[in-house]
Amino acid sequence: MKIYFELNGKPQYVGVGPGESLLSLLRRVGMKSVKEGCGTGECGACTVLVEGRPVRSCIFFAPKVQGKRVTTLEGLGTLDNPHPLQLAFVEAGPVQCGFCTPGMILTSYALLERNPNPTADEVREYLVGNLCRCTGYKKIIDAVLLAAEWKREGRW
Amino acid sequence: MRLRGVQRYHWARDLDEALSLLSAYQGKGAILAGGVDLARSPRTDIEGLIDITGIGLSYVSKENEGLRVGATATLTGVLEHPAALDYAGGVLQEALQGVACPAIRNMATLGGAVVSAHPWADIPTLLVALGTQARWQGAREEKTTVEELYGREFRKIFRESVLLELFFPSRDGAFAFEKITRNAGDIALLNVCAGLGLKEGKIAWARVAVGARPMRGECLPWLEEALAGERPTEALWRKVEEEVKARVEVGSDRRAEAWWRKEVAGVLVRRTLLRACKRAEERKAW
Repeated sequence: MKIYFELNGKPQYVGVGPGESLLSLLRRVGMKSVKEGCGTGECGACTVLVEGRPVRSCIFFAPKVQGKRVTTLEGLGTLDNPHPLQLAFVEAGPVQCGFCTPGMILTSYALLERNPNPTADEVREYLVGNLCRCTGYKKIIDAVLLAAEWKREGRW
Repeated sequence: MRLRGVQRYHWARDLDEALSLLSAYQGKGAILAGGVDLARSPRTDIEGLIDITGIGLSYVSKENEGLRVGATATLTGVLEHPAALDYAGGVLQEALQGVACPAIRNMATLGGAVVSAHPWADIPTLLVALGTQARWQGAREEKTTVEELYGREFRKIFRESVLLELFFPSRDGAFAFEKITRNAGDIALLNVCAGLGLKEGKIAWARVAVGARPMRGECLPWLEEALAGERPTEALWRKVEEEVKARVEVGSDRRAEAWWRKEVAGVLVRRTLLRACKRAEERKAW
């Protein structure tokens, strides 16, 4: 079966399996920022945005994105032109192995789109489902708060 | 994706088509909305997925008699609806905000939580305590309270039916929700939803449900009857704590032992009732 959806602002018309996960589909079309961690929706490494909201792509049936907008980290910024949120993660230094980082950034992006002035507790609450086994979270929170500050300053 | 063996995916255009497809699969079709539980199901016998997110059941609406929530409304959809925030002293917000994390709440539906009915889940405890009614369509349309539904062979019902709506009756008091988890994103070791209404300084009615015992949430009718007509005093709440410890039915699993659940149940019920009482005193009828 074929489905149509918008991936990072570009139209996609691709074949999918009826029981295929969105994670599998996205990696198949080259979105390698989308990581499979637990495969059961627990860890958040596979987080992508559907219609601007974070979802777990490992347990999201791919046909469900028919007609919808999907955003992965590739749609946020590039190596040459990183998004300010990505720059904030570089600046605050919360990246060690980096496996959880795409999910962290996309979840944070969704939070800051809705609440550009979050408290540290609100950031913690929103990122509760994104697990990091390296950093201890403090610098992740710092990075999101830094990005929020930049957003309020109009840098993005 | 644990679910294996799916051959076909259908976007149902309306309820009739969904029911017709479900019937045609003769037990090998599954209704799909959020899909959170279905994707993680180890079943290998499901051949067809029937997506019902496009059949108009994702609404939340307030009426004089209560709140109506379509079966495919996501937890986020409920949380963001102003009427839901206000319902019964804010208990829907309090309980749903604590379910998993935003990404899961963006996917999971209230209807899915009713149909899956995990014993450890918070939502069944919440719905049972609130006296929520479920309406579904199979060979004929039926409705009953979620509490009564769980007393029936509800899994069999939903192999042949589509859950349509949940109705939260208007309450003249307030509810509160409490749970104990190991960390913010974990499932409950025990959860409690309790509510009461006050009249002339006395408890007019009370509802108390305890869940994740590890069995599914159930009401404590003996406690509800005992509370009616009592004055809400500290001495009463202490007595409630002791009574619940002595009488609540709990079990052991790998997460917690029964003796611990008994102790915690008493404390949680007391705290939840106390908070519900304070809210009831503060708010007018919803």
